[in-house]
Amino acid sequence: MSKIRVIARLDVKPPYVIKGVHFEGLRKMGQPEALAEKYYWQGADEIFYIDAVASLYQREILFEYIEQTAKSIVAPFCVGGGIRTTDDVARLLHCGADKVVINTAAIANPQLIRDCAHIFGSQCVTVSIEAKRKGDGWECYTDYGRIPSGKDVMDWVKEVQDLGAGELLVTSVDTEGRQKGFDVELMAGISTIASVPVVAAGGAGQLEHIRDVIKDGNVNAVCIASMLHYDRITIREIKEYLLSQEIEVTL
Amino acid sequence: MSQVIGVIDYGQAGNIFNIRKVFELAKKEVKIVVVKSGQDLKSVDKIVIPGVGTYKGAMESIAPFYQELRDKILKVPTLGICLGMQILSEIGYEFGETPGLKYFEGAVRLMPVKHPVPHIGWANVEVIRPSKILKGVTAEDVFYFMHSYEFINYKDVAGLSNYIDHSFVSVVERDQVFGVQFHPEKSRTHGLKIIDNFLSI
Repeated sequence: MSKIRVIARLDVKPPYVIKGVHFEGLRKMGQPEALAEKYYWQGADEIFYIDAVASLYQREILFEYIEQTAKSIVAPFCVGGGIRTTDDVARLLHCGADKVVINTAAIANPQLIRDCAHIFGSQCVTVSIEAKRKGDGWECYTDYGRIPSGKDVMDWVKEVQDLGAGELLVTSVDTEGRQKGFDVELMAGISTIASVPVVAAGGAGQLEHIRDVIKDGNVNAVCIASMLHYDRITIREIKEYLLSQEIEVTL
Repeated sequence: MSQVIGVIDYGQAGNIFNIRKVFELAKKEVKIVVVKSGQDLKSVDKIVIPGVGTYKGAMESIAPFYQELRDKILKVPTLGICLGMQILSEIGYEFGETPGLKYFEGAVRLMPVKHPVPHIGWANVEVIRPSKILKGVTAEDVFYFMHSYEFINYKDVAGLSNYIDHSFVSVVERDQVFGVQFHPEKSRTHGLKIIDNFLSI
C-alpha cells in the first residue's frame, strides 16, 4: 500500500468556508486562508479548495481568494469550482494551484479534460465525481450535487481516464455532510476499475469511517471537512489513529 | 549578495507563482526573473526549470531559446523540478517522442507499475552518494511527488525513491546541475532544505 494522503477539504462560498449536509443548508466555518494555514500546520498532506457556487451561479472564479489562501502554505494545493477553459486552469496555476478539480464543465464538455491533460499533464487534472445512488448503481451529479447528469458513474470513470484525468475526487451526494460514514461500496467499485488515484470524500464523522473507506474502499486518499471544521479532531490525530490501524501515512 | 534566479516560463503551464513564493520564503535577497527569451537569460545567476506541464509542451515553449538555455546551463547552477528535471534528459515519450535539453543521459518514460498512475503523494529519498543538493536530507524526510513519467538514468543518480515496490530515480546531479522529481516548493520544511542548498551553491 502506498502512503495514504489525508486531505483537508475547504468548500468555499467566498469569503467563507462553508459546510452543509448533502451539499445543502450551508453554514459558515471560517475564512479559507485561516483554515488552510491551520490544517497545513496540523500536517495535511494536501489542501483542496472547492468554490461551491461558482458553477451554480455561473460566475467567474474569484482568483484573489485563491491566491490569498495559497500564500500561507508550502504544501500541495488543489483548486476547483467554476473552471470552464484551459485559460482558467492556467490562471489558477499562476495563483498557486498545483492541480485543478473539474466536474460540471467536464460533463458538459469532456474534451476539456483532454485539453488540460495535453497542456498541463494528467497529474494536474483531478476530475470530481459527485455520485448519487440510483437503482443498482450511481448517477453523476453536477453543480455541487444539485443537477443530475444522466451519466452512469462507472461509465464516466472509464471515459475520463481515457481522456487523461490524473485523479478522481469522488464525493457521495448521499453521505456528504452527514458524518455517518463514506459510501464504501461506491468507492470500492470505482477503485476496482480506476487506473488513477482515487480520493474519497463525503461522510467522515468518526475515525473508523476513515479506516473503513481506506481498507474496504481501497482508496488512495481521504478528504476530511466537517470533523476538522468543528474542531473535533486534528489531522495529526487522524494520522496517528491510521498508523495504529496499520495504515501507512506521513507524520 | 542578491542572487538573480531565472525561472523558465512555459506560457500556460508551469508554476512560477509557487517557485517565487518558496524562494521568497527561503531567502529575502533573491530576485526572480521570468525567462521567456535568450535575452532574459543574460542577467541570471542561477536557473530554475519548473514543473507542471508536459515534456512536449515544455520543449515547444523553450524552442525559441533552446541553444541559449543549453549554453547557460553549462555555466550556472541549475535546478530542474519534476518536469523541469525530466527535460534535462535526452528524450521524452509523453505525447510522442520529443528531444530534451540533453544535459543528462537517458530517457523519460511512463512509470512501469501496476499501481495507480500518476504517482501522487509523499515519499522518502534515499541519498545514494555525496550530493550538494541533498545536503542535510535524512531518511525520515518526505517529499511531494506528482508524476506519471520517470527519468531512466544510471550515471548521475544522487537519490532514489519508491512508489510502493517500484524504485525510481528521484534526484540527479552532475557538477552544478540538479534535477529533482519531487516538488521542493510543496514539500514543507524538507523542501525548503533543497531550496536553501540550491541558494548556497
